[in-house]
Amino acid sequence: MFRSTEKYWKSVLESQEKIEKYAADVRQIDRRIGAFIEFDPHRALPAPAEGNPLNGIPVAVKDNIAVEGFRLSCGSKMLSEVASPYTATAVQKLQEAGVWIVGKTNLDEFGMGSSTDNSALQRTHNPWDTSRVAGGSSGGSAAAVAAGLVPAALGSDTGGSIRQPASFCGMYGLKPTYGSISRFGLVAYASSLEGIGIISDSLSLTRSLFETMRAEDRHDQTSLLLQGESTPVRTIGVLSHPEGLSPAVDRAYRRTIDELKNLGYTIKEVELPTLDYVIPAYYTIASAEASANLARYAGVRYGHQNSLAEDPQELMETSRDQGFGAEVKLRILLGTYVLRSGFQEQYYIRAQKIRTALRRDFEEVFQSVDALLSPTFPVQAFPHDSSDLDQFQQKLADRFTATANLAGIPALAFPVGFEEGLPAGMQLMAPMHGEERLFEVCQKYQEVCTPIHPDRAASRPHAKEERSTP
Amino acid sequence: MDTRELYTTASLAQLSLTETEAEKLSREVSRMLDYFARMREIDVDSLEPTTHTFSKVNRLRKDVKENGERLSHMADSLLDNAPELEDRFIVIPNVL
Repeated sequence: MFRSTEKYWKSVLESQEKIEKYAADVRQIDRRIGAFIEFDPHRALPAPAEGNPLNGIPVAVKDNIAVEGFRLSCGSKMLSEVASPYTATAVQKLQEAGVWIVGKTNLDEFGMGSSTDNSALQRTHNPWDTSRVAGGSSGGSAAAVAAGLVPAALGSDTGGSIRQPASFCGMYGLKPTYGSISRFGLVAYASSLEGIGIISDSLSLTRSLFETMRAEDRHDQTSLLLQGESTPVRTIGVLSHPEGLSPAVDRAYRRTIDELKNLGYTIKEVELPTLDYVIPAYYTIASAEASANLARYAGVRYGHQNSLAEDPQELMETSRDQGFGAEVKLRILLGTYVLRSGFQEQYYIRAQKIRTALRRDFEEVFQSVDALLSPTFPVQAFPHDSSDLDQFQQKLADRFTATANLAGIPALAFPVGFEEGLPAGMQLMAPMHGEERLFEVCQKYQEVCTPIHPDRAASRPHAKEERSTP
Repeated sequence: MDTRELYTTASLAQLSLTETEAEKLSREVSRMLDYFARMREIDVDSLEPTTHTFSKVNRLRKDVKENGERLSHMADSLLDNAPELEDRFIVIPNVL
C-alpha cells in the first residue's frame, strides 16, 4: 500500500473513514509480515500540533520502548502481559510534535539477536521475500516501514539492531551518537552501548525525527545535547580489506565506493587495527551489562511468575527459567561468568581496554577522513532458520555495526540498491555528534539511489535490475 | 566450561536450568568463551578501560518529589502489573 508521500500520511487522520481504511489495510498486509505485536491507531491519537512538520505522521515503536497505554513486552514471555505505566522521553517529544503512535513492533527478545526470530511472541518476515528474516533486533520496525505500513519507526541499537534490519529491508537506519536521545523509557539491555534511533524510507523524515527527539533529559544521566560542528564532507574513508563479505555485499560495497567517487568525494583507504577484536569485546561488555540489567526480572513485582513456586528463591529461579528464552539465558550466563571474581580482569576489564583502543583508532581515522564507509552486515537478508548462519555466526557478523556502539559514534545505514534480488545496504560513520555529515552524504547519494518498496518494485519489474547494474 | 561451573554461574544469576538446557548452554557458553580468549592477542595493558563513551560529571538535582509531573501518577499502574496483590501489597510465597 505504498503511498509514501508526506501528503498521504498527513491526510490519514483527517477523517474517521480514512483512519478505518488505513487500519484495515495495515491489518491485512501485516498478516503476511508480522511486523506489529500490537496495532491500534485509536489508542494514542495525537493532540494536533499545527504547523509542526511531524504533525499527524504515523510512527511505530519497537516494543522495548515505553508508550503509556500499550504493552511493553520486549518480545519476551517474561513481559508479555506488562502494560507500560509511562511513556519514554523520546516518544513523548514526538507526541508533543503531533506524531501519531500507531503500534508496537516485534523484536528479538530484549533486543538480543539479528533476525527477530528470537522473539518469544511471533515471527516477522522480510517484505521483500517472506521466507527470509527482516533482520534484528528491530526487525518489526524495519519490516513495518518496508511494507509501507508506516513511514518511520523507532528502534533501538546496541550492536547494530537498527542498521542491520534497515539494510536487510532496503531502508534508512540511524543509530545516533550515544546519549543524544534520552534512554529513559528504553528497557535496559546494555546501557553503555545502546540508544534509540530511527528506521524510515525518507531521509528528511529520519532527520526531523532525530532533531525532535534529541535533548538532555533529567531522567537520563547520560543524555547530552551537543551540536557537532558542521564540517562539509570531502573525504570518505573506506576499509581496505573488509573480510568475510558475501560476493553480493562485496560487489555492492565496491559499487558504492565508485558511486561516491563519481559524486565528487575523495576516497581514502583506512585501517581500524582493533576491528578484529570488536566482537569479543562487544559481546563481553554487552553480556556483562545484560546480566546486571536483567537481574530485575524476578517474578515478583511484575512480569511472568511461576505461581506454583513454594518459596521466594524457587519463585525467582523458576520464573526466570520459564520467562526467558534460550538466547537471553546464554547472555545472562555469559555475563555473570565474565563478571565473577577472578575472571573480571581477563574478560570485562580487558574488553573495556579494547574499547579504548578502538576509540583511538577512530580518533586517528577521523583526523584524515570526514566519514567512514563500511558494509552494514557481511550478508544480505538470510532465510529463516538458516543453517548457513547459526546464532554464533550471526554474532560474528556484527563486527561492522558494533564498532560504532563501542565508540559511541553515530552511524547511518542507507540503501544502495539490489544484489541478487535483495536489498543491499551500507553504513556511514562519523565522529561523535557528526550526524549532519551522515545526512549530507546520504542526501547527495539520493542522486544514485532512493529507497523503494516491494509493491512499487513489483509494478516496475526492472526497478531492482536497474539498481543492480553498476 | 563444565556443567558444574555452569550451575554455579546459573545460581549466581538466579536461574534454574533443566538438564537438557544446561547441556546445550554449557556448549554455547564455552564456544563464546573460547572466542573471547582471542582478546589476549592484543596488547592493551597500558590503556585505561572505557566504561562509557563520554565522561561527564554527575548531574545533581534536588531530592524532592516531582509534583504534578508525568511520573507521579505511576504508582497505581505499576501495582496493576503485579501478579498478585493484597490491598497495595505484593504477594509472594511465605519466606519462612
